[in-house]
Amino acid sequence: MAEISFPLPDLGEGLLEATVLEWLVAVGDQVERNQPFVEVETTKSSVELPSPIAGIVLTLHGEPGDVVLVDTPLITFRVADDSAGIVGTVPQEAAPKRRVRLSAVLDED
Amino acid sequence: MSDTLEAVRETLPMPLVQLSMQQAINRALGEILDADDRALVFGEDVGVLGGVFRVTDGLQARFGAHRVFDTPLAESGILGTAIGLAMAGFHPIPEVQFDGFAYPAVNQIITQLARMNYRSRGTLPMPVTLRVPSFGGIRAPEHHGESLESLFAHVPGLKVVSPSSPQQAYHLLKHAASMPDPVIFMEPKARYWNKAGVNLADNVVGAGSASLEGSVVVRPGKHATLIAWGAMVSRCLQVAELAAEDGIELEVLDLRWLKPIDEAALAASVSRTRRAIVVHEGPHTAGLGAEVAALVSQSCFDVLRAPVERVTGFDVPYPSGDLEDEYIPNIDRILFGVQRVLEYRRG
Repeated sequence: MAEISFPLPDLGEGLLEATVLEWLVAVGDQVERNQPFVEVETTKSSVELPSPIAGIVLTLHGEPGDVVLVDTPLITFRVADDSAGIVGTVPQEAAPKRRVRLSAVLDED
Repeated sequence: MSDTLEAVRETLPMPLVQLSMQQAINRALGEILDADDRALVFGEDVGVLGGVFRVTDGLQARFGAHRVFDTPLAESGILGTAIGLAMAGFHPIPEVQFDGFAYPAVNQIITQLARMNYRSRGTLPMPVTLRVPSFGGIRAPEHHGESLESLFAHVPGLKVVSPSSPQQAYHLLKHAASMPDPVIFMEPKARYWNKAGVNLADNVVGAGSASLEGSVVVRPGKHATLIAWGAMVSRCLQVAELAAEDGIELEVLDLRWLKPIDEAALAASVSRTRRAIVVHEGPHTAGLGAEVAALVSQSCFDVLRAPVERVTGFDVPYPSGDLEDEYIPNIDRILFGVQRVLEYRRG
């Protein structure tokens, strides 16, 4: 298992911080990729942030009302070692299947 | 006495460590950074995040943000930075996050990286190892799966290599990073998660070869040779297993180095089996299979029992995930290729 933390991104242009309004997930929750996990408020707007990965929530860095600085940790996930990257899926290893059979008369000389 | 013990220890086989390819590459990168102060790892999300495939996981915490660092989303800049750092005496190991993102960097790669050593009459070598997560097989969207090997192999001044297993990835990356030339290191994404035993001893490279140069026979056979690299090696091994049920013994040659190609290994294998099928994910026309077929035809013309068969992707843009299974050579398409070669008769 690996731990992956995500920092608060700059949600506008040159914003320095955001206030946590509401956590939409709890520690221990399984979160899917693109699932909104928090609502934060900046000086410009309030916005729900989607999770960049699938994983189990390990730590929520802050309580509702707390100010989080851009580029500091917002949430930490625990993910399996064989979990997919941010794009794509892990290929499933199935038993090799085929329809073609070889029928060769080998005239070795 | 301690010398004797050391000598004995060196002769003992090292235990195999079970690693996935991503873990094997991570381990190799850590050892390279540890051993070489001038080695630097950088690219999109390789630092804080540890890479989108976890390949650089933990390296920034271990070696610091001055040696393992995130770059802006600008591949041309990543390569430009690598070239400048190499000119200043560093050993950059940049990452292009996905093969499809390499195109914006191609100008830097072709016009600067590949020819700086030549242009400077050997005074500015480019010891740059460019890691590129490559090929398809993970159901990724467009631009996240491409086969760029023939593009890069065509550029004088570049070396191109693709590992097929954790063992190969671990040793080939360390070897590539020790070279004075730019190396394009194509990591088969579809194989990142498969675990296998890795022998970490420097003097053991496994899979029947005593060298990190050239190709390796990963399965011996006598009726035909399947030639492949990257993720297609494991598929060809599956095909060889199935062919054996039909009484056909296929040899599988892992080409490994796509530039320069190991012509001697190709000739040695096909002159034994007298039939060859080259398998790759890239499009058919002007794919690396054409080069392999030409080399085999030249070296084995007198003994070949059939024209060299190519089982490849199609001449279409690399499809996104939903159509991947129709595009990437599958077991049946490779078996058809084998059948065509086996039943060919002269005249």
